[in-house]
Amino acid sequence: MAVARPAVHEGARPPGVFTRHDLHGDAVLDADVVVVGSGAGGATIAAELAEAGLEVIVLEEGSYYQTRDFTADTSAMVRQLYRDGGATIAVGAPPVMYQEGRAVGGSTVINGGMSWRTPDKVLARWEREAGIAGIARELEPCFERVERRIHVAPMDEAAIGTDNWLLKQGADAKGWSVIGNLRNQSHCAGSNRCAFGCPTGAKQSALVSYVPRALHYGARVYADVRVERVTRHGKRATGVIGTVAGSGHRIAVRARLVIAACGAIHTPALLARSGFRSPSGRIGHNLSMHPNVKVVAIFDESVANWKGAHQAFQVREFQDQGLVFAAVGMPPSILAMSFPHRGAALGRLMDRYDNMLLAGMLCEDTATGRVRTIDGRPQAFYQLAEADAASLQRGVALLSELLFAAGARRILLPFHGAADLQSPDDARRLLDRPIAARGWEVVTVHMMGTAAMGRDRSRAVTDGFGFVHDADRLMVADASLFPTPIGVNPMETIMALATRSAGYVIDHARRLLS
Amino acid sequence: MTEYRHSRTTAAVLRSLVPVICPPEAHALAGAIVEHMALTLGASPLAVRAGFAAGLATYDLGALPRHGRRARHLSPAAAERYFAAWEHGPTPLHVQLARAINQLMSLSCYEQPAMMERVGYRPGPWIDQVRRKRLTVFADDVRRQEAQILAPDPLRPGVRLRSAARGAKGTVA
Repeated sequence: MAVARPAVHEGARPPGVFTRHDLHGDAVLDADVVVVGSGAGGATIAAELAEAGLEVIVLEEGSYYQTRDFTADTSAMVRQLYRDGGATIAVGAPPVMYQEGRAVGGSTVINGGMSWRTPDKVLARWEREAGIAGIARELEPCFERVERRIHVAPMDEAAIGTDNWLLKQGADAKGWSVIGNLRNQSHCAGSNRCAFGCPTGAKQSALVSYVPRALHYGARVYADVRVERVTRHGKRATGVIGTVAGSGHRIAVRARLVIAACGAIHTPALLARSGFRSPSGRIGHNLSMHPNVKVVAIFDESVANWKGAHQAFQVREFQDQGLVFAAVGMPPSILAMSFPHRGAALGRLMDRYDNMLLAGMLCEDTATGRVRTIDGRPQAFYQLAEADAASLQRGVALLSELLFAAGARRILLPFHGAADLQSPDDARRLLDRPIAARGWEVVTVHMMGTAAMGRDRSRAVTDGFGFVHDADRLMVADASLFPTPIGVNPMETIMALATRSAGYVIDHARRLLS
Repeated sequence: MTEYRHSRTTAAVLRSLVPVICPPEAHALAGAIVEHMALTLGASPLAVRAGFAAGLATYDLGALPRHGRRARHLSPAAAERYFAAWEHGPTPLHVQLARAINQLMSLSCYEQPAMMERVGYRPGPWIDQVRRKRLTVFADDVRRQEAQILAPDPLRPGVRLRSAARGAKGTVA
């Protein structure tokens, strides 16, 4: 049987990628376009513009890793690939722990690879409320293009693990809608290491798709460079200045177009640090987070949640109510840290690790928070709304019912001091007593909306293509652009918006880049 | 990420907490668990590290009024009661610190190879197995996808721009 040659992203570091080991002094570089960030937005727009013939430089704060660097050492991967080792928290009651990727490829390196188009109702809302006429129609070919590039497909059945089959079995027993997850993967083999860098190369993250494409068409990627500010002449962006990690050497890039794609936490901070002001006064506002909670179900049978594809199914029965459920395998260390148990009780619980199914829930939030820039650093503030807490409570009760229907014997809940559930009746009784927002343990990986697009410059930070209102030659290309939360995983929306924006730049290159 | 080492106080307090937080079968791994926590803290923001160290110092000294000795020197039973008092106690700061210690130490505890083995978590051989399978069973598809990633497919057919920056790639001082 033939064995595939090493993937394009393996082997020696590809030409065009520079790291701190290559940067031995201060540097001044020139490009048509400089892109800050190499995740879903940055890598996509860089690849499209490079293929169109533009000189593109991408600056990435994180380091450059390849598939061979992704090992089974969970905490080492977290330290290398996550901003601040994953210890990033939005202030509120409860505090919301959020995670961002910090590596070439951005958060696509550590996400679950869910690839969903923006729901029609969300795009209709963006047209209606943000005044972005025609966006649904214009995004259609962009979605198709992105899906082709990152190979969006349902999972191979053989790669689906017991935890996901149990989730489906529970949904089927309840008669609830459950669908095969569409993921950006090429024959995912089910290592279940999506969140720690795919060690097989199957997940088609930006690292192994758009970044190699951008490089192939001549873009240069500088890793380990933290951009401090966008340089400007009046309202015109003229480039960026950054610092090389470790050495402190300075890198200046002079460019005709500056694209901020640092994610919804860091893009508003970059704009603020650079002195750009929006007529709307809304830079950093409108932060949505898709608050996420999990429950742990314990079964009699072996679940081995760490074997098999990550989130192979999604339960969509309650999507209209803003709730989506999925099974999410996690290593024992991550599960252990999420339990309030300790000592012998922790040991007894963790001895059942093989029987545990971890299920998570995404909630389309109604509250918005804010990113403030304090001493040049972003700090997120987010208060979970009581209405959203009520949604989460309803979701936990429903998800618990599903898991009992699948055969769970006991369910551990995501709020402090709650007794474990032992039966479906316990799950239903969960709704008897409201649980205040501050009592929840909430995490997220979906931050959105802090440089929202819209036609009205008195209400939006950017126009419908991501150009910052009241600035010249400055764009945003990440989830900051979302006027509202989208209720599904955001990666494909970010990539499609970046593709659409790239098309606009190419169409108007003479005016924009002269 | 910066090099981080526990202070003597931090290391001593954490070591004394291993029997309180980790299961008995992990107590012999105390040194490795505390060292692993240093790696995790080293990746955290400076403010988090400083807050954690200050919290642990307060925790250590806070035992003096009631127990007449620092937390790190308490008997096992007293150490258990003292930590439980912080877990439930008097201010949100006490609760948050106790929770943070529990989380970080539990993480480090179950990152120890012996503990992973104990719960049946063996990701290395599993990854090798599925990687091999992917590259053999699906070799042709894998190749096709790699080729697709690089194949020409301009966003705007027929439009290629002439770069204004070409020929002026920059200077290194």
